[in-house]
Amino acid sequence: TTLKLSHVRPEGATIDVDVRHFADDVAKATNEKIKVRIYPASALGDYTLVQERVGLGAVDMAVQPPASAADKRFQVVYMPYLVKNWTDAKKVFAPNSSLRNTVSDLYGKQDIKVLAGWPVYFGGISLNKHINNAADPTIKKGAKLRVPPVKAFQLTADNIGFIGSPLPFSEAFTAVQTGVVDGVMGSGAEGYYASFRDVTKSYLPINTHFEMWYLIINKEIFADLNKKEQDALMTAAATFEAARWKTAETDQKRNEQLLVKAGATIEPVTDQEIEETAKIVREKVWPVVIKDIGTDWANSVLDKAIGAH
Amino acid sequence: MIEIALLSFAVLVILLSLGVPLPYCFGAGLMVMTLIGESTMRGMMLWGFSQLTNPILLAIPLFVFAGTIMSVSGIAGSLLNFVNIFVGRIRGGLGVVATVCCAIIGAISGSGLTGIAAIGPLLIPEMERKGYPRAYATALIANSSILGLLIPPSVTMIVYGWVTDTSILASFLATLGPGLLIMLNFAIVNLVMVRKFPLVMDEPLNTSEMFKLATKRSVHAGPALLMPVIILGGIYGGIMTPTEAAAIAVIYALPVGFFIYKGLTLKSFFDAGKESATAVGSILIMILFSLMLSQIFVIENIPQAIVDSIFQITDNKIVLLILINLFLFLIGMVVNDITAIILTAPLLLPLMTALEISPIQFAAIMGVNTAMGGVTPPYASILYLGARIGKVKFTEVVRPAMTLLLFGYVPVVILVSVWPDLSEYIPSAFGY
Amino acid sequence: MERVFKYTLTALISLVAVSQFIQVITRYVFQTPVMGLEEMALIPTIWLYILGSVNASREDTQIRANVLEIFLSTDKAKLVLHLISDLISIVISSWLTWWAWRYFAYSMRVWKETSTLYLPTFVYESALFIGLALMTLFTINHLYRNFMTLIKNHPKQDNDVLTSETLTSTATKKGQ
Ligand code: NA
Ligand code: NA
Repeated sequence: TTLKLSHVRPEGATIDVDVRHFADDVAKATNEKIKVRIYPASALGDYTLVQERVGLGAVDMAVQPPASAADKRFQVVYMPYLVKNWTDAKKVFAPNSSLRNTVSDLYGKQDIKVLAGWPVYFGGISLNKHINNAADPTIKKGAKLRVPPVKAFQLTADNIGFIGSPLPFSEAFTAVQTGVVDGVMGSGAEGYYASFRDVTKSYLPINTHFEMWYLIINKEIFADLNKKEQDALMTAAATFEAARWKTAETDQKRNEQLLVKAGATIEPVTDQEIEETAKIVREKVWPVVIKDIGTDWANSVLDKAIGAH
Repeated sequence: MIEIALLSFAVLVILLSLGVPLPYCFGAGLMVMTLIGESTMRGMMLWGFSQLTNPILLAIPLFVFAGTIMSVSGIAGSLLNFVNIFVGRIRGGLGVVATVCCAIIGAISGSGLTGIAAIGPLLIPEMERKGYPRAYATALIANSSILGLLIPPSVTMIVYGWVTDTSILASFLATLGPGLLIMLNFAIVNLVMVRKFPLVMDEPLNTSEMFKLATKRSVHAGPALLMPVIILGGIYGGIMTPTEAAAIAVIYALPVGFFIYKGLTLKSFFDAGKESATAVGSILIMILFSLMLSQIFVIENIPQAIVDSIFQITDNKIVLLILINLFLFLIGMVVNDITAIILTAPLLLPLMTALEISPIQFAAIMGVNTAMGGVTPPYASILYLGARIGKVKFTEVVRPAMTLLLFGYVPVVILVSVWPDLSEYIPSAFGY
Repeated sequence: MERVFKYTLTALISLVAVSQFIQVITRYVFQTPVMGLEEMALIPTIWLYILGSVNASREDTQIRANVLEIFLSTDKAKLVLHLISDLISIVISSWLTWWAWRYFAYSMRVWKETSTLYLPTFVYESALFIGLALMTLFTINHLYRNFMTLIKNHPKQDNDVLTSETLTSTATKKGQ
């Protein structure tokens, strides 16, 4: 069997390397009975579309962020400042954590099985110029940030002293260059290095959100495999995730340094400033998102994931 | 599977020559891949449709509408009257203006379709009035429209930079040199080709007469001259994106067309809306099915299979370069530019490194080759949009278009491969 | 029919332009861009594309590249070729419509929502099936008309197309 696996980064990116290891492990463990063919760079479509295609069984597997188009409750994992640092993240997003079970349930409703998670980075803000006190959420910076079309991001930008501006991703690079917007929010150092390094003059590692991708497979396709093959996939997936948890934090640092090499300054952000920002976001943004996705459900998920909030 | 892909391509070409509408030709390609081959249509409509929601496409209807309104309202006429003071006495001058206008549009838009969309409705009628054959005018503007992908910014180079981990600005600048050279070539080839046309020339003027006329006409042309100022200023002043600029152009053209130039009436306004929408709809439905077909090729690994077989032929640098250009030309015939880059740039990059071709020169090689794909049938979206906007038969446009391509474009494609400085000089001047 | 399309298509394309205009004004002048505007704008945008294409089918002005036609000399031969191409088009179009129908049913069942305003995406996803179905019907109509022309043996009339073809050039002359 050949399984088609889509991911969202170009060939040679960290996720691409990891996913190729995974494919090798699977091939070895099944005596080449199962081959994973990798389609990098969103060649099979963006993550929203690929998630639907995996649900339909038109694409077998993917590693990517969860998409909330088919079920807005997925937004719960995008909650800005759900976790504030790596120590929290390792607990809240761990395999078998309550949040992981929620994610698996949500995917399950779309005929998708979660094999593993892949922690990516903490999000930050990329700016085309230095802005004084950028990390102080109480100061109105008057700077516009391109935000992805997700309510939580737009509200966050507006509430921490920026102006969230929806713009198509395809126009974002030129828009930052000409100054239509002053920066970008919604990604992390790695994403900014890959797509915005020429226009990033200042990087604000303010931990806007914790980006987690999931290794997913169509349920039926998984069920059609024999027990030994299923086990091989699960084992390889567990290794894939465990290895990443060990390197994710250093990988984030490495990508920040790449931004520096490309000419950006990493702005100093204190834990105190992250706390303050988180407090504002949880007060102002969370209630809106929680109401959107269903108050009772969202609160119970959040209670289990991070305790009282 | 590669045999089925070839069969599907053959069916596509046969139906195309029979006169089956383009979207259905690509649909037939899909039928071959899924009914005879083993590909599945499951989820394909979903995939294709999601491509239509891509905001990159939005600039096309807006620019076509803006161009059409400018044309019918008299704004374009007034602008061209002004420009004609300077070029009306030069044989083929208007053709040069068309090419340069496309280059200027190219400097604000990242797509290859914008030039023909915005300039086509404006200049084709005017060029015809001055004695250029309509098909030739369409071909010239459609070909020059490719400059949108070569003069920065460019969506293809953004994608190239991303997939090959090359600086996007460096990739932008890599195609600038070749782009300018192609603009120059088109202008020259145009001056040669117009010699056989019965062109209407203006009376020769001396400098002072020219100055007087310019002053006189500039008053009338004032509101029209403000249009490019608003667009260029708006984009480079960091106020709006190119797509938004197209919308601003529409909004600005309405009062100016209705009340100042008075060429716009309710009737011509609705005609313009219908015409623009129909031109755009017929091109996008074709793009929809062609993207679905190329997605099936992607799933079946067809491009990779072709690259693999090329690698096995030879290791001679020149022969390989020729083969790669031919390969990219072939890819450009079946898939759109962005897909071509996502799939083939990472595949070819290691080979380029082995041949000691820098990622920046490779950016230009990819750039000029994939951009050309927009005017080479069967997937020739720019040329089809041109034919639709110019209201000429595709078979009439294709001949002058290929002549222009052969003498104006192909020489640069070859130069880019063999002359590194053409693509590397400008980036290196900017420190890349 | 001509009128319906004229007004609908112009309304749609104007809506698209106005929404972009609003975004520039709210972002640049008022410094508060409208959230979710692009999601709303997607509805007229997609219907614009699809109904534009339907109108091309209605006018029989879909893009063609009839290379073969150049080699045919009589009107009758050209008409026969046109009939053949119409027939092929109908087969392909019906097949595509069938798959678009499955997509239509799927998106009605899944009922996705946009990410900011939670508008049902079915509002524009349904356009593809409706559009392809209409395109098929208009092509069948052309086949019928061409066939009648062939058996009655008089040249076909195309009233819609002529008016629009002359539009741009006459209007430009008027503007001089
Ligand atoms: Na450009
Ligand atoms: Na082509």
